[in-house]
Amino acid sequence: MNIALALPLLLAVPLVAVGAIALGASPRKTALWASWINLIPGFLVSGVVLRRGEIFYGPEGTNLREVFPVQFRLGLDGLSLPLLWLTLLVTVAAIGVARADVKRAMEYHICLLLVGLGALGAFLSLDLFYFFSFHEVALIPSFLLIGIWGQGDRTGAAWRMTLYLVLGSLLLLIALIGLVWAAPETARTLDWRVLTETLRAQPIPASQQTYLAALLIAGFGTLVSLVPFHSWAPGGYASAPAPAAMLHAGVLKKFGIYGLLRLALPLTPLGWRELSWIVGLMLAGNILYLGLASLAQRDFRWLLGFSSAMHMGTIFLGLISGTVLGLGGALVLMVGHGLSAALGFAVAGEVGQRAGTTWMKDLGGLATRTPKLWFYLMIAGMASIGLPGLANFAGEIMIFFGAWSAHPFLVGIAAWGVVLSSVAMLRAIRSIATGPVSSALDSRKGSDLNGFQEVWPFALLTALLFLMGLVPNLVLGPARPVLERLIQP
Amino acid sequence: MIRWFCPEVLLVLTGVTLILADALIPPGKKEWLPRLSILLGIALFIFTIWQSGQPMPEVWANLFVTDGLSLVFKPFFVLCLVGVTLISVRYPMGREEVVRTEFLALPFFSTAGLCLLASARDFLAIFVALELVAISLYLLAAFHRSRAASLEAGMKLLVMGGLSTGFLVMGIAWLYATAGSTEFSRIILEQAGRPASPALLFAVGLILTGLAFKIAAVPFHAWAPDVYEGAPTPITAFLAIASKAAGFVLLLRIFCLGAFALDSVGWVFRPILLTMGIATVTLGTLAALPQRNLKRYLAYSGIAHAGYMLLALGTWGESGMGTVAGYLWAYLLATFPVFIFVQELERVHGNADMRHLDGLAQRDPGPALGLTLCFLSMAGLPPLLGFSAKLSVFTALWSAGEIPGLVVGVIMAVVGLGFYLVPIRAMYWEREPDVVPAQRFPSFLVWILLLAGAAQLILGFQPRPLVRLVEKSLAPMVSGNLQGK
Repeated sequence: MNIALALPLLLAVPLVAVGAIALGASPRKTALWASWINLIPGFLVSGVVLRRGEIFYGPEGTNLREVFPVQFRLGLDGLSLPLLWLTLLVTVAAIGVARADVKRAMEYHICLLLVGLGALGAFLSLDLFYFFSFHEVALIPSFLLIGIWGQGDRTGAAWRMTLYLVLGSLLLLIALIGLVWAAPETARTLDWRVLTETLRAQPIPASQQTYLAALLIAGFGTLVSLVPFHSWAPGGYASAPAPAAMLHAGVLKKFGIYGLLRLALPLTPLGWRELSWIVGLMLAGNILYLGLASLAQRDFRWLLGFSSAMHMGTIFLGLISGTVLGLGGALVLMVGHGLSAALGFAVAGEVGQRAGTTWMKDLGGLATRTPKLWFYLMIAGMASIGLPGLANFAGEIMIFFGAWSAHPFLVGIAAWGVVLSSVAMLRAIRSIATGPVSSALDSRKGSDLNGFQEVWPFALLTALLFLMGLVPNLVLGPARPVLERLIQP
Repeated sequence: MIRWFCPEVLLVLTGVTLILADALIPPGKKEWLPRLSILLGIALFIFTIWQSGQPMPEVWANLFVTDGLSLVFKPFFVLCLVGVTLISVRYPMGREEVVRTEFLALPFFSTAGLCLLASARDFLAIFVALELVAISLYLLAAFHRSRAASLEAGMKLLVMGGLSTGFLVMGIAWLYATAGSTEFSRIILEQAGRPASPALLFAVGLILTGLAFKIAAVPFHAWAPDVYEGAPTPITAFLAIASKAAGFVLLLRIFCLGAFALDSVGWVFRPILLTMGIATVTLGTLAALPQRNLKRYLAYSGIAHAGYMLLALGTWGESGMGTVAGYLWAYLLATFPVFIFVQELERVHGNADMRHLDGLAQRDPGPALGLTLCFLSMAGLPPLLGFSAKLSVFTALWSAGEIPGLVVGVIMAVVGLGFYLVPIRAMYWEREPDVVPAQRFPSFLVWILLLAGAAQLILGFQPRPLVRLVEKSLAPMVSGNLQGK
C-alpha cells in the first residue's frame, strides 16, 4: 500500500468524525477518538519524512493547459512536519479540555474539528488554491465558536475577527494571484513547489517583488496579528471559548508565518529584503506596544491575548534575520508558542470555569485551592516568559543569536520584550495564585483538576514544552535542509 | 438543423399543451399536470446538457446560431425553469388557484424566449426573443392579482421593461442607420479595421443602457428590490437569475463575441463597463447591509453579483467570457436554493422577514446548514463554489491590470461577507422565538437544500465539471470570434 495515502487520511479522519457527529454519534467521544486516531497517519508520514526528507500525494505532472489548473496535491517536508504535529497535538489537547456538558455539544465539537481540519489542510496543501481554501475553512467555525459559546463582548469580537481575517485573506489572495501570474505564461502553476523552482530560475523583476512582498506581508501579517493589523487578536482570543482560543492562537495563527516562510522568502527575496525594515518597525510595534498593553490588562484572558500577539514580533525577528539559525529559531518558537499559548488559554478556561471570572483582582489563592491548576499556570507563564528548559527559550535564544549581526537594535528591543512579558506574566501569576483564597473561588466550591480525565491535556502540553525545550533538534534536524534552501540566493 | 432547436420547440409545445390540457380536462382531474411539467423540464435539462457536450456551430438564416455560448446557457435557462416550476407548484395562490396551470405554463414560453436569445445573432432576432421573455414576465409578476404588492411589481416591471426596450430599439435603429444591417456578421465586416463613428458609439451606448436595466446594473437598478419583493417568489427567482443571465448573455454576445468585440468601440465601452461594475458592486453590497427582508436582500445581493460580472466583462479579455459564464452558473446554484427556502418561509409566516430565521439551526438543522453553505458561497468563501467564481473575476482583473476594479472588488467582498453572515448569525446565534410555527418544512425541500449545500462544497472543492462545461463550449469560440463565421 502506498504510504502517501496517509496524507489525505489525515484530512479524512476529522471529516469522517464531523459526519459521524452530525449523524448523531456522541460528540465528545467521537471528536476525541478521531483526534487521537489521527496521530497514526501522522506517525506514518513522519517516518517517511525523517527518512527521505519529504512525502507527496496527488496527481503527477502539471496541467498547465487547463484554464482552471487546480490539483489536489498534498505534501510534507521538514518545515511543515513540526507544524503538522503541533496541529495534531494541540487539537487533541483542545478537544480534551472541551467540556462535555457544553450547550449544543454537537455543533461545538464539529466547529472545533473543522478549525483543526482547516489548519491541517493548509499546512499540507501544495496547491495554492487548497492552501488558501483550507485556511478559510476555519473561519466560519471560529465565528460561530466565539459567537455562540464565547464570553464577554463575544458578538463584537466575532465580527471583528472574522471580517479582519477575511480582509487579510483577500489581500493574500491578490498576492497569490500576482505570484502565479508573475511566472512566465507557459510555466504558470498553482503548485508552490513547482512555482518556487520556476521563479528561482526566472526571478520576478525587483520592482514587482517589492509590491508582491508588501501584499504578502499585509495579508499574512493580518493573519498573524502583526501591528498595525493586530486589533482583532487580543479581543478575539479573550472572548473565544478555551479550546477555540487554543486552536486559533496555538495553531491557526502559525499559518501566516508558515506562508511567509514558504512564499515570501523564496519567491520574493529581493522584495522581502527591501521591506525588512518595515517588518522590523512592525515587529518592534508588536513587542513594545503590545507588550506595554499587556501590562495594562486586568483580565487574565486579555493578558494572554496580548502576550500571544506580542510574541509574534519575536518570531518575525527570526524571519528577517536572514540566517538559518534565526529561521530555525522562528520555527522552534512557532511550535513553542503554539504549545504555551494553548496551555495558557486552557488554564485560563479552567480558572474561568471554576471561579466564574478571569478578572485578576477577583482571583487569588489558586495555589492553595487548586495546586495542580497552579502548577500548569506556572508552566504556561514560565514558558511564555522564556525560561530555559522550555521550548520558547530555545527558539528565542536562537532568534537573538541569528538576528544579532543583521539587526542588533531589534534584538535589544526583543530583549526588552522578554522583560515586559516577564513583568506582565509574573504580576498575573501573583495576583491569581497567591494571597487569600478569593471569594469567587470559594463560593463556587472550585475544585482542582480532577483525576486523569481532566489532567491529561495539560500534562501532554507540558511534556511537549519540556521536550521541545530540551531537544529542539527534533524540530531543527528535519527542517534544516529546507530552511537552508529558503535563504539560498 | 432543427435538432438544435429542439429545446425551444419542446418548450413552446409544452406550454401550449399545458394550457390546452387545462382548458379541456375537467377540474379535479388535473393534479398530474404540474408533475408532468416538472418531469418534462428535467428531461429537457438532461437533453440540453447532453447537447452542450457536442458544440457544432451552425447558422440558421443568419438569425440564429448554435455555438458554445448558446450551448452553455440553454441548460442554464432550462434548469432555472425546472426550479421555478418546482416551487410554482407550491406557491400559495389564494383566490387565483383556478389559474394555476397558466402560472405554470407561462414560464415555459419565457424560457423558450431565453433559449432563442442565447442563440440569436441578429438584433431583430434578439429583440423578438427578448420581448417573448419580457411579456411573459410582466404577466407573471402581476399574476397574484388579489395582492396589491404583486400588481405593483408587475406595473413597475412593465414600465421599466418598456423603458429598457425603448432604449434597445432606439439603439438598434441607430445601428441600422450607421452599419446598414442588424446582422452581427455584416456589422463585423462593415466595421472591421475602421474607427467607430460617433453615431455607432451612440447606438451601442443605447443598447448597453437597455441591457443594463435587465441586469439591474447601477444606475438602472432601482426597480429590482421593489419588483423582487412584490412579485410571486417563483417569478422573483426567475427574474433574479434567468432574466439577469439573459442580459449577460447578450452582453457577452455583443461585447465579447459579436459585433463590438473590436477595439474601435472598446476604448469607450471598456471604461464604462468597469465604472458601472465598480458602482454596481459598491451600491449592491452597501445597500444590502441594512436589509431585513430576504427578498430585498437577495435583490441587492444580485445587484452586487451583477457588478462582479460587469467587472469581468470590462476586462475585455478572452478570460472575461468564461468568467461571466462560470459566475452565472455559480450564482444560479447558490441563489436558487435560497429562493426555494424563501417561498417556504412565506408559506409559513406570510412574509420573508429575516427575523423568521432566528434560531432556525436548532429546530431545523438540515435547511440551516444548506442555507449557510449557499450564503457563504455567495459571499465567495472558499472552499465553496462562489470562491472559484470570485477568484476568476479577480484573476481576470489582475491579468488585465485593472487595479481600481480589483481593489473595490476585494473591499466589497469583505463587506459582502458582513451581510452574508447576517442570516447565518440569525440562524445559529439568535434565541429561538417563543412561538414557533407548527408547520415543518417538507422533507423533500430539506433534501434539496442539503443537496444544494453539498453541491457548493463539492463543486467548490473540485470545480472541474463546471469549468469543463463552460470551457469546452466557449474556448473554441474565443479564438475565431472576429472572423464572422
